[in-house]
Amino acid sequence: MMATIMHEEGRRSLTSRLLCSRYTLPVFSVALGLLIMGLFLHAGDWVGGVWSLGIMTGFAGVVLLGGRSETIRGLRGDGRDERFAMIDLRATAVSGLVVTVAIIVGFMIEISQGHSGAPYAQLGAIAGLAYLGAIAVQRLRS
Amino acid sequence: MKNTVRDLRAARGLSQGDLARTMGVSRQTINAIETERYTPSLPLAIALARYFGTPVEEVFDNDGHNHA
Repeated sequence: MMATIMHEEGRRSLTSRLLCSRYTLPVFSVALGLLIMGLFLHAGDWVGGVWSLGIMTGFAGVVLLGGRSETIRGLRGDGRDERFAMIDLRATAVSGLVVTVAIIVGFMIEISQGHSGAPYAQLGAIAGLAYLGAIAVQRLRS
Repeated sequence: MKNTVRDLRAARGLSQGDLARTMGVSRQTINAIETERYTPSLPLAIALARYFGTPVEEVFDNDGHNHA
């Protein structure tokens, strides 16, 4: 049991270290930018690819070189504590709510124009199922 | 939540940054606790009370919001 606990602690601290590293988000942003650029190039649109990589690299630069602002440090991870984790959770909930409302509005516009409602119907179903799944899992865990 | 963190900190001549470093949180979090904009987690509340050598209920006052 002790080995399991130590293993769990080790895994948690590795995760924690990764999340709290100031380089994680910038590296992830640039990697995502490279992936998106690759997909644009695959489709033959190099202008879109360069723009995407530029935007993602610019965001990475702002996060990495953003100084000691609490917001930047919280996003970056090196200034993250329990209060910022709560702020992050609430911000995630608000952004999820905004996206969900946008999906519902998009679905309504689509069906009002005689269309099938795709892809908003599918996105709404994913959002709804993900919410119900998260509720079920969180209820079991807490 | 009402609390005496500012008084206890000032009585020991500590800055918000000093206390934040000791507690492993940001200076802004200590400021938010002192100005009652943020209610700390139970572990942080206990850590603050232990640091000041005071019972947690003397540091934090739930102002009649009894959950019992």
